[in-house]
Amino acid sequence: MSSRKGQKGAARVVREQLAREQRRRRTIWVSVAAVAVLVIAGLVGWSVYTSQRSDDFTPPTGSNEAGTGVVAGSGPVTVDVYADFLCPACKQFEQAAGPTLDQLISDGGVRVVYHPVAYLDRFSTTGYSTRSSAASGCAAEGGRYRPYAKALFERQPPEGGAGLSDDELVDIAAATGIDRDGFASCLREGTFKPWTEHVTEEASKAGITGTPTILVDGRPVADRSPEGIRAAVEAAGR
Amino acid sequence: MIVTAPPARAARWPAVRPWLGVAVRLGLAAVWLFAGGSKVGDLAASGRAVNAYQVMPYDLAMVIGAALPFVELALGLLLLLGLATRLTAGVSAALLVVFVVGIVSAWSRGLAIDCGCFGSGGQLPEGQAPSYLPEILRDLGFLALAGFLLIWPRTPVSVDGWLTGDAPVEDDDE
Repeated sequence: MSSRKGQKGAARVVREQLAREQRRRRTIWVSVAAVAVLVIAGLVGWSVYTSQRSDDFTPPTGSNEAGTGVVAGSGPVTVDVYADFLCPACKQFEQAAGPTLDQLISDGGVRVVYHPVAYLDRFSTTGYSTRSSAASGCAAEGGRYRPYAKALFERQPPEGGAGLSDDELVDIAAATGIDRDGFASCLREGTFKPWTEHVTEEASKAGITGTPTILVDGRPVADRSPEGIRAAVEAAGR
Repeated sequence: MIVTAPPARAARWPAVRPWLGVAVRLGLAAVWLFAGGSKVGDLAASGRAVNAYQVMPYDLAMVIGAALPFVELALGLLLLLGLATRLTAGVSAALLVVFVVGIVSAWSRGLAIDCGCFGSGGQLPEGQAPSYLPEILRDLGFLALAGFLLIWPRTPVSVDGWLTGDAPVEDDDE
């Protein structure tokens, strides 16, 4: 009697052990699968990012040697201006200190490199930062970067919307004296989109994390008022 | 979930917990799906947001920034399905700890950046103060959700429960 009861008990223990073992194995496989899903997701992100990057870019005429910006002037002091056409603070800077920089350029005191970075693509529904920067490349190709950039800031669309349409970008170009058809085909073909990407990536690599950023001979300028810019240039020229 | 006429205070918790667990699981899933979804459209910007913390070389930051949104989406999907919930909760908790440490370190180094938790990211415009404390508190709240699922991974309406085929209330030994 008692031995049969013991047998029954032992069988139950074995069954439970087997069930537990099976459950354990299932948990392991589910965990392995979940980890695989996470790792694959990460690799997908990496490869998508890599495939999005374009290697070849053509800088527009008037670019600096590294192809990271458009040069104006040839003075002894170099001023780097990093701006996004969608950034409100960049518009303020352009309207407040832009004329000062123009004056310094024509006085022969500075060489300004304009870097039209596309940092704020997520703040418009159409990637306006990239589109406007690439458009400014088309304008630079026609030797009209500065007037076009000024006009873009003047007509700056609000953040969060669709930005200016391609047609509007072309109209602005025509209004600033750029050949309409040449500009329109340059814009439609995305000729300078890889350049915009290069400008943005190099700025990011250089530690430019926000816009606008102004460097005078490589040093960031905290006071971006006309007086601040003038003072920084004078200090660097000494 | 409304529990009608609870017989006793002690008996209420076992009845409520599974459904609270579902809410927590789906809540954390929503957090990850939203966080990943807001970044996945501009991977380069996501990389720049990571780079703005200035804790790793640029190229590594860009790779991490590109991978992160997809990992977040995968975590969200796994939680939504309730597959490998404890492991997913553990990975979530680990990621959130890393995020909190990152924000604290940015704060202590005096950087003025947006955490980039749900899109945006990078350096803040002049005159805008960073909101590190709310960001940290929010992440700690998410960490509490992950902690709940680490302790009680079994929830109803989950693939885990379906695979094991038994009631979600018993056996917390996995």
